[in-house]
Amino acid sequence: MSRLVRSLRLAAVAGILLGSAFAQDIVLDSRVFDIGNELRCPTCVAESVGESNAAIAREMRQIIQEQLDEGRTRAEILGYFQERYGDWILLSPPRRGVLLIVWLLPVAAVLVAGGGLFVLVRRWRAAADEVAPVAGEDLARVRAALAGDDPAGAISAEPAPPAPRP
Amino acid sequence: MKRVAVVVAIVGGLAALFLFGLLRGAPDRNVPSNLLNRPVPNFELPVYERYLAEFGPRLDLADHAGRPMVINFWASWCGPCYAEAPHLEAAQRRYGDEVLFIGIQTQERDARAAGRAFIERFDFTFPNVIDDDSRVSIAYGLFGVPETFFVRADGTLAYKHVGPVDAEVLTERVEALLR
Repeated sequence: MSRLVRSLRLAAVAGILLGSAFAQDIVLDSRVFDIGNELRCPTCVAESVGESNAAIAREMRQIIQEQLDEGRTRAEILGYFQERYGDWILLSPPRRGVLLIVWLLPVAAVLVAGGGLFVLVRRWRAAADEVAPVAGEDLARVRAALAGDDPAGAISAEPAPPAPRP
Repeated sequence: MKRVAVVVAIVGGLAALFLFGLLRGAPDRNVPSNLLNRPVPNFELPVYERYLAEFGPRLDLADHAGRPMVINFWASWCGPCYAEAPHLEAAQRRYGDEVLFIGIQTQERDARAAGRAFIERFDFTFPNVIDDDSRVSIAYGLFGVPETFFVRADGTLAYKHVGPVDAEVLTERVEALLR
């Protein structure tokens, strides 16, 4: 019985140790992929280091893992690759210099489109509010029709029957 | 009429954008190297057997400081590497006394037999080393193979060539290193 208890205890300790080791790996791995997703794979087309299965991307993920293990920050790791590949390696261009245009252009486009839409809506509303000029004779006929007096028979509650086809 | 013109302008613009996307081809990989005019990273890599007598088991770049260098990255699976290989060997035979040519097999792991066959096929007389884990190619900011780095005698990068080099590029760039 005591042997069984001892074995169970050993198994439990081993399980806890293994579990914690794997848990740490998962935490580190998710950080590796988070950082990898910010880097462009050098040999692929439109894929990040986090997504790509290319040999160089796998090696770059390994480097990220090692640098995380050494206690480096996300910015330091991105800087390591940026130093070698330049700004090209970053999937999100840095917010400085000429590259600032990439960030400002969409905001400017939204502002211009919003402004244009505002002006258009105002014009449409102004046009809708305008009273169309009506000839005095037409106005008299409408008033007569509303009063129930339709001498000319021009305004009828029933729509006029369609004209016969020739 | 005005409305038709606006619709035609929008559709025409979108069609032009679509055509541009179709016709512009693959993205340009000729990004200027971030190492330009800066010292190139040092490396120490295992040497192919053929060069052991002259260079020992590992080639340390620092041991050759003070010499202009041409560092070529290649892989045995890379078609353009086969196209440029004869030009590299010819340049080595012409300028080898003044310039150190180094071949680095990279972006393929444990491919010694294929690497050996590549070297024998072109009878490379300059040292070729193995970058098994592609760490050196990452340190040099490589986008693919082949790429060739022309390094001044002071260890700074003068020029990086993306894609296969030919005799003209090699002559022009090596002459510039020697001036």
